[in-house]
Amino acid sequence: MSKDRTNDPTSPSSPGSAPAGGSSAESSWSSKPEVDGRRQVGAPALNLRGTLLFLWRQLTSMQTALILLMLLAIAAVPGSLYPQRSVNPALTEQFLAENGRWGKLLDTLGFFEVFSSPWFSAIYLLLFISLIGCIVPRLGVHLKQLRARPPRTPSRLTRFTGYTRIELAAAREGGSGAQQIDAQQIDDEQIIERARRSLRRSRYRTEVREEAGGRSVSAERGLLRETGNLAFHIALVGVLICIAGGQLTSYRGQITVIEGDGFANSLTQYDSFESGAWFDETSMPDFRFTLEDFRATYVKPGEAGTVGEPRSFEADVQVNTPGEDQVDKTIQVNKPLHVQGASMYLLGNGYAPEVTVKDPEGKVVAEGPVITVPMGDTGYTSQLVIKAPDARPKQTAVVGFFLPTGTIDEKGPHSLYPDAVDPQLALTVHQGDLGLDSGIPQNAYEVDLTSLTPVTGEDGNPVLIRLYPGQEYKLPDGTSVSFDGLRRYAAFDVAHNPFEHWILLSALVAVGGLVLSLFVPRRRVWVRVRTTADGTVLEVAGLARSDDPALEDDVRALASSLAEAQDGTPSAHETDPERPARNADHSSEGSAQ
Amino acid sequence: MINEQLAQISNLALVVTIVLYVLALIGFGADLASSTQRRSDARLADRDREEQEEARTLQPVAVGAADDGSGVTADAGGARPAAAGADAEGPNGQGAPSQGTMSAQRFAFVLSGAATVLHVLGVLTRALATQRVPWANMYEFATTSTAVVMLAFLVFSIRRTELRALGTFVVGPVLLVLLLAQTFWIVPAAELTPSLQNSHWIYIHIGVAIIATALSILGAVVAAMQLLQARHERALVERTADGEQSPEHWGRLGHVLDRLPSSTVLEALSFRIHSVAFVCWTFTLIFGAIWAREAWGRFWGWDPKEVWTFIIWVIYAAYLHARATGGFRGSRAAGFALAGFVAVVFNYTIVNTVINGLHSYSGL
Repeated sequence: MSKDRTNDPTSPSSPGSAPAGGSSAESSWSSKPEVDGRRQVGAPALNLRGTLLFLWRQLTSMQTALILLMLLAIAAVPGSLYPQRSVNPALTEQFLAENGRWGKLLDTLGFFEVFSSPWFSAIYLLLFISLIGCIVPRLGVHLKQLRARPPRTPSRLTRFTGYTRIELAAAREGGSGAQQIDAQQIDDEQIIERARRSLRRSRYRTEVREEAGGRSVSAERGLLRETGNLAFHIALVGVLICIAGGQLTSYRGQITVIEGDGFANSLTQYDSFESGAWFDETSMPDFRFTLEDFRATYVKPGEAGTVGEPRSFEADVQVNTPGEDQVDKTIQVNKPLHVQGASMYLLGNGYAPEVTVKDPEGKVVAEGPVITVPMGDTGYTSQLVIKAPDARPKQTAVVGFFLPTGTIDEKGPHSLYPDAVDPQLALTVHQGDLGLDSGIPQNAYEVDLTSLTPVTGEDGNPVLIRLYPGQEYKLPDGTSVSFDGLRRYAAFDVAHNPFEHWILLSALVAVGGLVLSLFVPRRRVWVRVRTTADGTVLEVAGLARSDDPALEDDVRALASSLAEAQDGTPSAHETDPERPARNADHSSEGSAQ
Repeated sequence: MINEQLAQISNLALVVTIVLYVLALIGFGADLASSTQRRSDARLADRDREEQEEARTLQPVAVGAADDGSGVTADAGGARPAAAGADAEGPNGQGAPSQGTMSAQRFAFVLSGAATVLHVLGVLTRALATQRVPWANMYEFATTSTAVVMLAFLVFSIRRTELRALGTFVVGPVLLVLLLAQTFWIVPAAELTPSLQNSHWIYIHIGVAIIATALSILGAVVAAMQLLQARHERALVERTADGEQSPEHWGRLGHVLDRLPSSTVLEALSFRIHSVAFVCWTFTLIFGAIWAREAWGRFWGWDPKEVWTFIIWVIYAAYLHARATGGFRGSRAAGFALAGFVAVVFNYTIVNTVINGLHSYSGL
């Protein structure tokens, strides 16, 4: 790669700038073949192949990646500012209703489905194509580098980080010429071997080379940095693929279960259900459960915290899975039920008062617990709708509120506290055509009152029924409503994503690679022993190829330990003509721009 | 369950902490304000020394006059031994104005150390009072993450004394956040809501998020100083090239910047902080996804908090890439880091208080 070429200290042109160049360029996140950010634009010929090549180079360039990253960040912003259909459909509809043409325009542009909109998808797909185009060539280069031997020791080490020169006192006195040279060579070998072993221990890859007048060991460390970098990027592609796989095969459904009732896992039992294109219904695990009990506790008056704030939700369930014993489990928030192939989460709860409605003829037209919908206040004021299409002479609807701790004042009927301290119903009865025969599917929790007439009392006003448990109310026309008892219900999500574990695995590989690519220093260290007319000289130097402030100290420590091992005394002959200058250099090293 | 007495001690400790931070800020500010004075003192000393040397070498005859002069300079040099050194060496050892008294910076540093100890105690007593982690609402998140910022700053600058000059720019933001927390975000000590109970991920996910936020704050301070310093240095180089002897730029601010480490040193520091921060943000996302899957049945749902943490992550990723891209290194990359910090601030303030989502734990 061109970067290696420019930073390679062995190339004759670069030693002067090597330390600075080495640290800045190698701090890189990626080793794109870019040297100074300028590319040769327009160089290829104007044929199709050339144009495509040119576009491909543009797409895989680092600047493009940068722009795409920033675009991705900016494109995600509206996804948090406008309500999203996938997150909160009701809020989205409300926004559309309130904003008329502006809302419609935004809707056409995909602002309510940002994360599946064409423009958002285009950005991240281009980003990932750019990423793949960038890492594939790097992968090849890196694999080659992993097998290659450390590069040759540069002939002049003086310009490198931590350069230390030590004149060795040993093996210089007396003896005949031949003997002296002999001793000298053993000496060289010993020092170099010691240096090599010491570097090997510090996980350097080493290479000993014979040179004119001596020998040297060239050591390299930190290839893990690039390995980690590549692993990070490849794992990100893995995350994306696994997410796509999950989208296609996962499912998610909502159910509501009243205390005492059961649920069996099949499509017909769900209130709502969504699944991916490749979802296979037969893969749904066959489990069933009964909701034995649901408990909720709230902050009581006098306790610390906001009165009425929830403190715990617990659902006791009896679970049956084929081929296994029945088990009792308690599902809480953060404690879902896991069965083979699915998980069930407690996500909501409410009250289901037992109400019996009789028509004027005395026939029971509605009976049993009715799921009420909490309106979102702390008191759990809940909406109740009962439709009785079988009532005669007219179809009947009972609508109103269930109040766990009820009061009726100028604000109308509402609840003061979420727990069922003083449960009551506040209802009105309406008669007419419920419209159930029209064939248009209706929401079970809503009723259109415009086509119905309220049952009125003697004063002509609609009769407001207020009921406590065990009470019954008879309307002037003979219709009766009774409040027989109270149960609670729990709302669960059942979901399964077969790719979840693979996504987690990819993400962990990515973060592992990230840590390596950020914190493993990549460096080279050279040790050379040379015999000159003055005696034997030991030289040690290093080259940082990433932010690596510890290199200088490590190089000097190696030099002095080698010198000490050689003559048993701390090196008295250490000469380092450039040391002050080096130090000044070093303060700005690490990121020299 | 809630120990009200401990909760009150915690509140009191944090109020006193704020007072101490104010004093520390005054100390750091006084130290910076003396930059101009110190600079001119150092230059005077330099000039005197030069004159003295000139006198010695060129005018060996005028011994008496030179003696007088040297007497004066020796005095000045003795009174401010560190000043002359500081000019050459940068912000190192901004020593005592005279022996035995504390310099403003040392005073501020010691005071912010004491304040941090009290700050941490305040956070710990809050945790003890509630019998849980001290990060279940916006107020607690603010007090805990600012404590981490201060601890990180102290750890960084206890050995690298030249970084202490950054004190004003660290204690200032910390104080601002604490004041906001104490006036707008404070909520009484209370137990956890069900969605935060029964999960060890509250320790891991939010713990990492706090570290990530603290590092982002520190990183932004350093990156901002780096940007200022780089512009300042460029201007100084230009003026030197124009032939000015001792160039000045940006007046008092310039004198302050002269004492801070060079832009390359700040850049390296900023990169180191941001790279750790990026890893922390990555873990925040991963742990958050794991928790979301346990709590809400899906690992990712584009909740506003998730969206903004994703945005933060992407911008910091862009910063790391920018640093390795020709034409973007240095100042431009620092711009990306600051953009990331803007996203952090948005995620913490607007997303918590204005935008409605599943991460509604501000307690407001």
